[in-house]
Amino acid sequence: MGSCNHQWSIRNARHGYCVEEGCFECGARLSFFSAEPRPPKEEYQEGRHFWAYRGSFQTVKFDLQCRTCGRIVDLNDVNGLMLSECADRDCQVGALVRQQGPDSLVYVAVCPDTSHPTGKCVSSEGVEALNQYFNARLAPIGRKVTVVPCKLCNSIDKCRGTSIVDVGLTEIQ
Amino acid sequence: MTVSELVKKTGLTVINEYKDREIESVYISDMVSDLIASAKPNSVVITLQTHKSLIAAANLAGAAMIVIVNGRKPSEDVVALANRTGIGLFSFDLDSWAFAKKLVHLGFE
Repeated sequence: MGSCNHQWSIRNARHGYCVEEGCFECGARLSFFSAEPRPPKEEYQEGRHFWAYRGSFQTVKFDLQCRTCGRIVDLNDVNGLMLSECADRDCQVGALVRQQGPDSLVYVAVCPDTSHPTGKCVSSEGVEALNQYFNARLAPIGRKVTVVPCKLCNSIDKCRGTSIVDVGLTEIQ
Repeated sequence: MTVSELVKKTGLTVINEYKDREIESVYISDMVSDLIASAKPNSVVITLQTHKSLIAAANLAGAAMIVIVNGRKPSEDVVALANRTGIGLFSFDLDSWAFAKKLVHLGFE
């Protein structure tokens, strides 16, 4: 990312919903961020897919901006972060989890289309910036995280971990 | 003020083994995902949440301690994860406002 020793800070933080949909024809899943006051629940057809609402969680999205050079990293392709507890021997993320020292944890940056039909996932620029941002905050207290894109998971839909989302808050009336 | 000093002065119930650190700020939220974007390193997080995602988010924020209000207690897997991160987990019998008032009296702004 150039010669700047980036000092990232959060910009454009926005609250909304991570909405999950599934195709009842082929079983494909996708998720997207909605800033609407209530998450959309309508079923619709898109090409060969018939998308139906599966659930939603309150969440926060943000981008990163370097305080030194002004560079902005758009994190629209990050739908959430999950603390990985993967124990799959054949999974690259599981291998990373086992390699971590006691002061380090692995987080998976989850993209909107976790089945990756086009091979597209969270950008490498976004993953690098997230690693730099969190580790700059954690280094003074002797802790570390490794953020990886969800395409490294054998199956993010079956992966063991803790997603950082809020469930049911808007149901409290 | 350190975590252990604050515990003594406010009568918090200690839930786990924690790393003692200097506290630099306070953040109150019941929205776990909000912590990532808003809580600062070495902060006290005050919340009524007890889910494991609370620790996952507080770790990314670099929080020093979490005060769970209204007498709620987290499950064992949540405590185990907090132990791994060194984040202090504490329980407070009253609500967020009651604990916030204690912090103000102690000079937190």
